[in-house]
Amino acid sequence: MLAHWQSRAVLLALLALACVSTCTATCPAAAQGKNEVKNEGSDTPTYRSTVSEVRVTFFATDENNRSLETVTTSDFAVVDNDLVIRNFRSFAHSDETSLDVVALVDLSESVAPRLRVAMSNVLQLIAREQSIPDDNISVVSFAGISSAIVCASDCRTSDSARRLLALGMKSGGATPLYDALIFAADFISHHPRARGPGDVRGDIRSEVRPVVILFSDGDDTISIHSAGEALEAMQAAGALIYSVDLGTTENQSSDHTPNQNKGSIFLQQLSEATGGRYFFFSPRFSKSDGAATVLNAVLDDLRASYVVTYDVPSHQVGFHSLRLFPTHKLNLTFHSRNGYNYEPGGY
Amino acid sequence: MRFALLLALLCSGISVALAAPLGTYQQGTVVRMHMGDCLIMHRGFMNQFGPPQAAVEESCPEYTLVTDKVVFVIVGKSSNQLVPLAEVIDFRFQNRELAVRVDDARKESKFAIKEMTLRSEWELIQRHIEQELTAPPPQPVDASLRLRSRQ
Repeated sequence: MLAHWQSRAVLLALLALACVSTCTATCPAAAQGKNEVKNEGSDTPTYRSTVSEVRVTFFATDENNRSLETVTTSDFAVVDNDLVIRNFRSFAHSDETSLDVVALVDLSESVAPRLRVAMSNVLQLIAREQSIPDDNISVVSFAGISSAIVCASDCRTSDSARRLLALGMKSGGATPLYDALIFAADFISHHPRARGPGDVRGDIRSEVRPVVILFSDGDDTISIHSAGEALEAMQAAGALIYSVDLGTTENQSSDHTPNQNKGSIFLQQLSEATGGRYFFFSPRFSKSDGAATVLNAVLDDLRASYVVTYDVPSHQVGFHSLRLFPTHKLNLTFHSRNGYNYEPGGY
Repeated sequence: MRFALLLALLCSGISVALAAPLGTYQQGTVVRMHMGDCLIMHRGFMNQFGPPQAAVEESCPEYTLVTDKVVFVIVGKSSNQLVPLAEVIDFRFQNRELAVRVDDARKESKFAIKEMTLRSEWELIQRHIEQELTAPPPQPVDASLRLRSRQ
């Protein structure tokens, strides 16, 4: 009788341990702690245990804006809601091996002079990288008051190419940029993804990195939603934004620095907040290798990505700001999302 | 002989001149960082006595640097003036500022000192803040229950 009771206890303990370790692996942000709570109407205590772990995917670039292939835990510290964290739970190369690319193209009047070049860049982007499955390349356009899916999963067909070229000829209307970002975030969250060639393991959602390549001048003129809502939607979709600023040209007089305006600043902040990158419209884009520049950066960043996990440093509910900083080499820049929402996990 | 003496003097002079600005470094650890306003850096003559100017929206990094006995809050002079967030950093005082050694760049970066607190006091305050944060929220008092208990 006693032996039976003991084996049941061991079984229960093992089950509890399994539950806890499952949560450690999957819960991005849950509360950690162990509470003893008395059941109502019973003397048996119930032990509740939840785990809190923050998981951050990032890559690092050097002073020449090139991704670093090798990063170690001694190269960076995380600043989570002002607290500096140097002790990590885990650190490894990212599981992400493939891309889900959405080209989001501004067709409004303000970008008209550069629209043709932008569309030819989109076309090259689609045709160039065959390692991205057809299902994982889509084009969304926006102008006037709405956004529309130009092509999804069939962007490499000649029909789609014709449609894209036709779009390059017509531009006009207002710029619903923030609404378009929300539209794209919703599209990313719901459309089916495919693995890259050779990828056969694990959960497809964790292996495929959603990326938005945004061609715009960054100026919104008519959206119903705000910039904050647009950023929140993109962060919730887990997408990295690589923006190509159609409103800014390289400033030849001052050593290749871009001219700054409100739209450009928004695009830079948007890219930075999602862990992506910002490109200004340089003569390279007109010479039609601009698309290659962006796509190479996206692919390099994917290959050079790491995942770091750590315990939530404070159980303050709500938004936690997040940034990674170098510990020694101040010329390194770390790219990651700029925060997460912390909600204590259920029991 | 005179030449050798001159050479020795010159060499020792150079070594003293090179060593002097390095001084003795103290060590500390940065435990907090946030972007605050840069206003304390912009209190120049023109800002004090010149015509009123629009507030600069730039934010500067603010660090809490913990040493054995004292905790400093230091502020950078621009948004991109960073302290390496290594476990231990070297710093020294220089003209009422704090010069932090940036190892890889082999140079120093100067920060304004915003606050200085004794470490024991700072730890007390931190403990108090932690207690405040972890304390369960006060239970709403049911007025009817209070009345009933009185009766």
